[in-house]
Amino acid sequence: MSALLLALDGLLSISVVALAWATVTRREPRQAVILFIAFGLLLALVWARLRAPDVALAEAAIGAGLGGALMLAAARRALIQRDAAPSPAPPEEAGR
Amino acid sequence: MSLLEGISAALIGLGLFFFIAGTVGLLRLPDPLSRLHALTKADNLGLSLVVLGLLPHTGGLLPGAKLVLVWLLVLAAGATAAHLVAKRTLRGDGEDAR
Amino acid sequence: MPEIQVAAALVLLATMSTGLLRALWGPTPSDRMMAVQLMGTSGIGVLLLLGPAIGVPALVDVALVFALLAAVAIVAFTRRAECAAEEA
Repeated sequence: MSALLLALDGLLSISVVALAWATVTRREPRQAVILFIAFGLLLALVWARLRAPDVALAEAAIGAGLGGALMLAAARRALIQRDAAPSPAPPEEAGR
Repeated sequence: MSLLEGISAALIGLGLFFFIAGTVGLLRLPDPLSRLHALTKADNLGLSLVVLGLLPHTGGLLPGAKLVLVWLLVLAAGATAAHLVAKRTLRGDGEDAR
Repeated sequence: MPEIQVAAALVLLATMSTGLLRALWGPTPSDRMMAVQLMGTSGIGVLLLLGPAIGVPALVDVALVFALLAAVAIVAFTRRAECAAEEA
């Protein structure tokens, strides 16, 4: 039982850290937002495993659900504005 | 292990099989629509069987009703999501910019 | 019974972590969103299995919120591009 729980915790920790790294190093905004939604789901599982169901509830509702939807809309608008920009790359994109 | 526990474990195991099959399909199938096909099987059948396996051990009417509510919500959300994602894939707008 | 439930939750978490690869590679955004949806459903399964096993029955409520808000992100993701273009 405790070995199973230890394996669960280890797998959860590795997944969360790897996903966080992949999320912050992703350049394209929509991909980063989708990875952030997945990160919110895993983080809610972490809170659930830490026996904090109230925090997990807030994380699932705000982090994964509503925040993800709002950030998807924002990423879509950023992509549209970037496509509408004149063809030579704006200075803030040249440095990336 | 009583008979009820055996049935329950078997149902949970069957649900896990559908989840594993759906994940393998999501990773291995060639194009988005067939991946969506694999995904919906995992969603509906996998979670349905896991909920069915958990139902005998809830110990009460209200927790059992809550489990069934979760199940129905996942069914509705899964059907809606599969339809919308399929339409978006066929429409083909908003592909990866780079 | 708790051992079986925790073992099943471990297997489900392993499928979540594997399905995450499709969200990382995914050639199209639809693939990424599908992977996230499968992760959400597997997460509901993990919560339902883990709740009675570690003695936190309130985890079923968390699973309920997962199920309610799974559709919201998908619907926000699949909005038509023209509507957003008119708003912008």
